[in-house]
Amino acid sequence: MSTPNADQQPRGDWYEIRLQGRLAQRWVAWFDGLTLTADDDGTTTLRGRVVDQAALHGVLQRLGDLGVPLISVAQVPPDPDPDHTTRPDPGEPT
Amino acid sequence: MSSPLLETKLYAARVRRRSVPRPRLADRLAQGLAGRLLLVSAPAGFGKTTALAQWVEGSAGSAEPPAVAWVSLDAGDNDVRTFCRYLVAAVHGAAPDIGARELDLLSTDATASADGVTALLASLLNDVADLANDLAVVLDDYHVIEAPEVHEAVTFVLEHAPPQLHVAIATRVDPPLPVARLRARGDLTEVRAADLRFTPVEADTYFNDVMQLGLTEPQVKALDERTEGWVAALQLAALSLQGRDDVAGFIGTFAGDDRYVVDYLVEEVLQRQPGPTRQFLLRTSVLTRLSGPLCDALTGRDDGRRTLESLERANLFLVPLDDRRQWYRYHHLFADVLRARLLDEQPDQVARLHRRAGDWFESQGRREDAIGHALQSRDPGYAANLVERTVEQSRRERTERTMRGWLARLPAEVVAERPALGVALAGALLSTGTTDGVARALDDAERALSAHDGSTGLRGWIQVYRAGLAQAHHDAAGTLTHARGALDTLPRDDAVGRAAASALLGLASWGAGDLDAAHAAYSASQAIFKEAGFLTDVLGCAVVLANLRTSQGRLQDALDTHVSALDFTAGRSAAPGALVDPLEQQTLRGVVDTYVGMADVHRERNDLAEATRLLLAAEAAGEHAGLPQARYRWHVVMAQVLQAEGDLAGADPLLDVARESYVDDFHPDARPVAATQARLRVAQRRLDEVFAWARARGLALDDEVTYLREYEHLTLVRAHLADPALDRAVRHETLGLLGRLLTAAEAGGRDGTVIDVLVQQAVALDGAGRASAGSLEALERALQLAEPEGYVRTFLDEGSRVLDLLSAAQRAGLRTPYVRDLLARSCHPQEPPQPRVDEGLVVDELSPRERDVLRLLTTELNGPDIARELVLSLNTVRTHTKNIYAKLGVTNRRAAVRRAQELDLLHPSRTT
Repeated sequence: MSTPNADQQPRGDWYEIRLQGRLAQRWVAWFDGLTLTADDDGTTTLRGRVVDQAALHGVLQRLGDLGVPLISVAQVPPDPDPDHTTRPDPGEPT
Repeated sequence: MSSPLLETKLYAARVRRRSVPRPRLADRLAQGLAGRLLLVSAPAGFGKTTALAQWVEGSAGSAEPPAVAWVSLDAGDNDVRTFCRYLVAAVHGAAPDIGARELDLLSTDATASADGVTALLASLLNDVADLANDLAVVLDDYHVIEAPEVHEAVTFVLEHAPPQLHVAIATRVDPPLPVARLRARGDLTEVRAADLRFTPVEADTYFNDVMQLGLTEPQVKALDERTEGWVAALQLAALSLQGRDDVAGFIGTFAGDDRYVVDYLVEEVLQRQPGPTRQFLLRTSVLTRLSGPLCDALTGRDDGRRTLESLERANLFLVPLDDRRQWYRYHHLFADVLRARLLDEQPDQVARLHRRAGDWFESQGRREDAIGHALQSRDPGYAANLVERTVEQSRRERTERTMRGWLARLPAEVVAERPALGVALAGALLSTGTTDGVARALDDAERALSAHDGSTGLRGWIQVYRAGLAQAHHDAAGTLTHARGALDTLPRDDAVGRAAASALLGLASWGAGDLDAAHAAYSASQAIFKEAGFLTDVLGCAVVLANLRTSQGRLQDALDTHVSALDFTAGRSAAPGALVDPLEQQTLRGVVDTYVGMADVHRERNDLAEATRLLLAAEAAGEHAGLPQARYRWHVVMAQVLQAEGDLAGADPLLDVARESYVDDFHPDARPVAATQARLRVAQRRLDEVFAWARARGLALDDEVTYLREYEHLTLVRAHLADPALDRAVRHETLGLLGRLLTAAEAGGRDGTVIDVLVQQAVALDGAGRASAGSLEALERALQLAEPEGYVRTFLDEGSRVLDLLSAAQRAGLRTPYVRDLLARSCHPQEPPQPRVDEGLVVDELSPRERDVLRLLTTELNGPDIARELVLSLNTVRTHTKNIYAKLGVTNRRAAVRRAQELDLLHPSRTT
């Protein structure tokens, strides 16, 4: 519900979270717009900008709530593709 | 007055009719009943709640089944008072004899502080310790708890649990409780994911015996491996298999797929539901609790109740929350999957559904639930409206933490433009111990208020909180200004606001040493509390008013202040028709502090027996009857009584406890306990320690004098005057300090201090045993002020030098009865202290009937039982009980029994 300044640089660091099992694309909205990539080895990678540590813990808690086993959490360099940082919240009324 | 409790949260989960017997797990759970804590820690869908329900059911079949108090926690329980209300209500529901008093306490402000919560839990645990049977407390979904206060409360319960109490906690995340300590002591049984997974044998029983799917052993094995024994997944698989022709095909595809197992299976289950059912499941997934009418409000249909019943019959992850088939919830894991789907498939519905849920709860008067949904409705204005309407209730019920949480979830600009919310934020911050952000919230509120007129109430509260902020920053002038401003602004009928402003005004005057102004302000505050019926606050004000009177040297007024406040509150609680049952009588909070204050006056007057009696009565009234400073006050006065009795060694550790118990409550600390202890050191001739203390406090003979330091300065004076190395120069400096202290105390009307200063002056002017004229003059002035109020200890505690001076004064012609009396009382300083209660007297005074009642008070019988046993009317038993309490100097049943045991009154042989 916050109203960030349009000129403002998006805040937060990039993270990559690997999970055991394949998660369908429909979970993207549930994880606040992180990209979701199913890998060939039966794992899934969530990737994207996370506003702060509290938000990161929020994502991890949601994964915990689903009982999805975690493999790794890592901070990664930002994605050059600007698409991922400007993805609108799918729940936002337009 | 309090918001109603949700019964559904106290509903113990039931074991499904058809379930898999799991003896392996049952054994493990049975161990839990033997220990103090059973911790069931595993991710969602592992059957934790079912395991606990099985534990409860298993123990119900035992020889002495425990009472079971079950609480399903939710995010609202992060407010420790809310948590305690549900905990106590659950205990009361399980063991109706206990918990009622604590529930009452929770609807007062007695539990506003952390100490109050601890005292409440201590009282509850004491009650549990009296239970004949065991009590099991189940805390389900503990992972929703984040508030450290709640973890502390649970830790307190675990650390002080009587043997009857067994706690079971189910959680997805290991809780920050002292599990390591409990584990080391063998007080912990843990049940974790590995224990909860279904073995292939259990899976076989489930699929083939319970669900009757007729699967082969390899099929069961394949499913168990694919789901890793995860109970929720096995249930979903069974649902998917029901009525399916191609069982082998389904299992083959499922086992060969690497999709997230729940995703896969929910997809399968949903596909098999008719369209309307699917839609119903998705739309109602935003709810944390479901009822027929509520679902109708969300779906716009009228089949909510029927749909819920059919979902429950179909085992579609619907958990009943009561026995009446009214409230349900979805299984957490299933709900999460549904919500994620809803968000993906119908994103614009989410906010709309929350809005409808908010409206429905609001129409049912369940405002907290309404706010929870409103905050997710993407309509901050709507949520802010609802929050605004609970501001007053929250202030009354002291649920400031919840209020803080709601306000934090609203956009800052929405709070800033609504003065009621800004003021609420300031109050919530101050009362949860934060000053950061208070000024800004008040500035915003003021700015927003200037836009429209009226709202004098809010303007007044802004001043109240500004005064509170100034007081927290030790800005006396600012406190005075804002408190006066508040009183000028607040409407006449805002009792709480006016009383708070008056008290702040009194606090500021008190700190500045203007005792008359402080007294006037606190009197005004007390009058408002009296009118509004805030009895604990009436007593709290009395303690301050009596303190002020004591400083002014008006001992009788101090005593009268306590007595009239007690009379007022006693009249009140007895007033509403019904006779107060002394067997169940609960002592009003603040009574302890009042008793202690009275004891202090009696101590000064050397009525040590009465002082001791009152202190014991205060102790017997129990911790819950004390204000936050009660423990501190009690130990200080008790130490001084012991000192007066000559037991200096016994007084010392009590002052240590007092020092540890001191709570900074923003009240001026005019008599720091460290200084009282330093005076004891002077009496013990341990002057080096006293001088070290004075150096550490930065005290010197040439200091400026202020009201807040005069007690310390008078302590330093005593050390110098007791010092054998006292030379002429230091004596001169000491007299200089005493002169300044005298001037200041006289100017401030503090006769109590004036008497003290004059006695020290007399000692200082006393030349080597031969009383000088100046010395006797000072002593005579002190006696003139002290006599009408009956001061004794101020003279006698100073030891032989003052006694010598009194004798010298008598020889010089001062032959008043008062001086004779003081000297007579001092003649036997080594006499052993009087017995605390005159044993023979009590025994003689108890009538045979009272002895009968007293003996039955030691049993489990309640009032009506006792009346039946003795063939008396209940009212007669009550009268006897009141008399017994009075004669034993106690105020409740437990203390009476303890006292009777101490005095050996329970043996028939002692009866006459």
